[in-house]
Amino acid sequence: MRKGKFVVLAAIAAAFLTANLGFAQAQVKEWRVPFLNCLTGPIASIGEYLQWGAERAALEINEAGGIKGKPVKVVGIDTALDPQKGSVEMARVVSENTLVALGPVPEPVIMAAMPIAVENGMMSITATTSYEYAVKFFPWTVSWFPPTEERLAELVAAWAKLHPAIKTAIQFVEPYGPWPGMAEAHVKGLTSAGVKVLGKIDVPTDAVTFGPLVVKALEQKPDGIVFVCNAEKIAKIIKELRARGWTKMDHLLVFSSGDAPELYAAGGADINGVEIYNYINPDINTPRWNAFKQAYMKAHNGNQPPSLSTNYYDALYMIKRAIEKTAVTGNPKKLKEERKMIAEYIFNMKDFHGIMFNWNMKDGVPTDKPTFIFSIQNGRKKLIREVRP
Amino acid sequence: MQALIAQIINGLSLGSIYVLLVTGFNLLLLVAMIIHFAYPQVVVFSMYITWVVLLLTGNNILLGVLAAIGSSVLFNLLSAPLFQKVMKNRGEVDINSTMVLSLAMGMIITDVLSHSFNHGLPITFPEQLSGNSPVLRIGLITILRGQVWSLAVGVMAVSGFFLLLYKTRAGRAFRAIAEDPNGARLVGIPLLKTGLESYALTGVLGGIIALLLVALLGSASPGLGEQVANKVLAVSIIAGLGNLPGGLVVGLLLGILEAVAQGYISGSWSNVIAFVVMLVVILMKPSGLFGSKL
Amino acid sequence: MSLPLYYYLSITAVNILMSWTLYLPYRVAQLHFITVANMAISGYTAGYLVMALHVPFGLSLALGFLLGGLIGYVVSLFIGDAPTFAVVMVGFTFIYITRTVIENTPAVGGTMGMFGLPNIGGSPSFHRSAIIAILYGLVILVGFIIHRFDHSSLGRAASAVFADKDLAFSLGVDIRKLGMLLQTFSCTVAGGTGVLYGFIYKSFHLDFYTFQLVGIAMTIIFVGGYTTMWGTVVAAPVLYGVPLLFPPAIAAWRIVIYGALLMLVMIVKPEGFITRRTVFHVEAFLSRSRTKLNNSYP
Repeated sequence: MRKGKFVVLAAIAAAFLTANLGFAQAQVKEWRVPFLNCLTGPIASIGEYLQWGAERAALEINEAGGIKGKPVKVVGIDTALDPQKGSVEMARVVSENTLVALGPVPEPVIMAAMPIAVENGMMSITATTSYEYAVKFFPWTVSWFPPTEERLAELVAAWAKLHPAIKTAIQFVEPYGPWPGMAEAHVKGLTSAGVKVLGKIDVPTDAVTFGPLVVKALEQKPDGIVFVCNAEKIAKIIKELRARGWTKMDHLLVFSSGDAPELYAAGGADINGVEIYNYINPDINTPRWNAFKQAYMKAHNGNQPPSLSTNYYDALYMIKRAIEKTAVTGNPKKLKEERKMIAEYIFNMKDFHGIMFNWNMKDGVPTDKPTFIFSIQNGRKKLIREVRP
Repeated sequence: MQALIAQIINGLSLGSIYVLLVTGFNLLLLVAMIIHFAYPQVVVFSMYITWVVLLLTGNNILLGVLAAIGSSVLFNLLSAPLFQKVMKNRGEVDINSTMVLSLAMGMIITDVLSHSFNHGLPITFPEQLSGNSPVLRIGLITILRGQVWSLAVGVMAVSGFFLLLYKTRAGRAFRAIAEDPNGARLVGIPLLKTGLESYALTGVLGGIIALLLVALLGSASPGLGEQVANKVLAVSIIAGLGNLPGGLVVGLLLGILEAVAQGYISGSWSNVIAFVVMLVVILMKPSGLFGSKL
Repeated sequence: MSLPLYYYLSITAVNILMSWTLYLPYRVAQLHFITVANMAISGYTAGYLVMALHVPFGLSLALGFLLGGLIGYVVSLFIGDAPTFAVVMVGFTFIYITRTVIENTPAVGGTMGMFGLPNIGGSPSFHRSAIIAILYGLVILVGFIIHRFDHSSLGRAASAVFADKDLAFSLGVDIRKLGMLLQTFSCTVAGGTGVLYGFIYKSFHLDFYTFQLVGIAMTIIFVGGYTTMWGTVVAAPVLYGVPLLFPPAIAAWRIVIYGALLMLVMIVKPEGFITRRTVFHVEAFLSRSRTKLNNSYP
């Protein structure tokens, strides 16, 4: 009797498990867009605002009548920065009648999960990673950023030209993902602007104090410093520089990935005057952006929206346009061809109206996104210069 | 030369973090036979409680200090029965089981901090508590207020607890109930009272360490405890488990080694250099440089 | 087989193998974390061989096992009978060394990682079938070896060392050789597992082999039960699979649930859910069933 009960329970458990691992089929009543995101774990704070941006877009789209009359729903799927979880979740997404997905975030999960999307001919828009990662999965994703070496070299050269007094520079570089590559692009740019790059200071991933690194940097007497590391570490290094007498705050440049809430939370007033580059300008005056900003601040205790918060907002609008402009119907029987249609359309989308500016995609790469250099003042960025390709 | 002196001072500052955490770690080992792998995470938790109280009370420093010490004492007293139960289940002292239990605690603390405090973003402390202002600056050599406090208090804490544990009656009682509870009971040491006192003492130390880290670092993040936990365990092993003066020396030496490696070789290789040196030491002297006190 | 089921089963097999590589040295009370480094070293080496030198997958996998075993053997010469914490230090050191070397080696992708490993046999479906077959073949083989070990005089010697090292020594157990054997074997298995892990994802990234893996393996061993190999077999699929079924609100607290479960097990059932007694009862039940079956057929 006990044995029989055990067998029945085991069968129920197996059925439940397999049902939830991909055998379930559902009727399409809405456009379901899964978003493989880090909703828990070390970068849950980033995942939260990425999710918020995507859901904000869904809200606006639905208020305006949806996509082809059907509502859109962004389904947050937590990967917890765990490749093991990310791969199973992507497998599940791909096995269901998913036309297109958002994410994954960040790079370790991209590496584990994107090959699954590629193999199954489904686009998954990785809107927070560098070109160098995204290009490996073309044409089943797009790059949100132009090739690192081209754009960053130009940008950092423009920054150096803003400060002719900078004759020598040094970089703090953390060994993570595409960051060393970005640092090399900076070197190219600085050199082209006539700045001598004295070298780089490797920042250990588990560093908690930065005195030794800062002394090493100051020993070389640089006129300017570029930061290519985690946002919180950048703030702490800058504090350490200030404590050791550094005063030329405008000779410090933070790279775009450092433009995160951690920089402002840890840096406070100590980062006033520091300059930073990024691909979005928070002071742009457009109705959509103003509404986005207000809604974000209302939902986040008055905090300004971080720079990445609009990425998946725009990505969802890209999906909306792709569905509207192609013959996509959401019919599960035409899944393979409709996935391909969406991917092909987004891959070369012309004149996309992003929340801040319009841009074109050519072979998966944005061709004319502007970049901006800002000065940080009291937790806000003030535009100094726009750099167009 | 100036750079070298500056790096040694940096190393002493970094080392003082290890010394403080290793002292608390060793103290728990000596008075309760617990390998608290997540001790750094518990200290970081106290830092967060301090931050919450400061936020709620408009930066009332006294209440912040009391919160740091109070939360650490409370955490220790609440977790003590769990460790005791685990050790009792084994029928004998089992260090591995306390290590696993503390590993679990560390996982929980880090995850709770990243979920429930400040949206997982780093927290910063007011100027009055953080010691980021220099007391001396000559060229590259800078000594910050927080560095002075943490090093001074670290040395005093080690000396103080060493004297307490090895030169006083109370300290002998603490060690007795940790090493042999039955024997301690036989000689008339009140187990419950002495046990509670020992846990409270380590809690007080934990709170003080939290405040000193606030002074030294000026900020904290959920992953801070995990970042140093491996090194704290390593220092304790190299010095000799439970060896307080050994922990002081090895902690400071490790800090200096790391600082010099970062300053003269490479930041990304500093961990490797530090661990390889420690590895060579442990292979030559498995019981630790200064001998284990277990 | 559905795609999610494939990933679930293959990663579960990796978790089982990885946990066994910690289980074995722990039989003599050694926490042998170097196996994580072994996974990374063999994985990246095999990936490089396949991608850059076009070495066939089978040969690369074999080399992965060999490399793991070689590293394990050489290291065990020094720490075969070392105290627990010395072995822990070795593990940490190797993990740091491995990470730093890989970060600074552009040939294996450096911090970016290694992309686009080819399908085994040229097609995705063959690749998946091959991976599952190899993984579960390995699970059965390693499981068989561990089972035979546990039921042999060597296994009893290991239990004696775990219980009381000095007593075991006085009874004639060669602790050093036993430690070396277990460490070398576990590193060999870890090397091959690391290769297969990367080929499941068809990419390699440093963050596939972190201290988090150590935490996962420790949780599996201690929750499942560290006194017998079966604890891992039960705990690995459950601890990996159940959170996948959590609704989002509960999944957000996955790590807290893991930690709480680990604490609960340490307090209530410190030897884990599957103990030797449990296995004994199951074996006795199976034996009775077999006898009944035999008796029902004259």
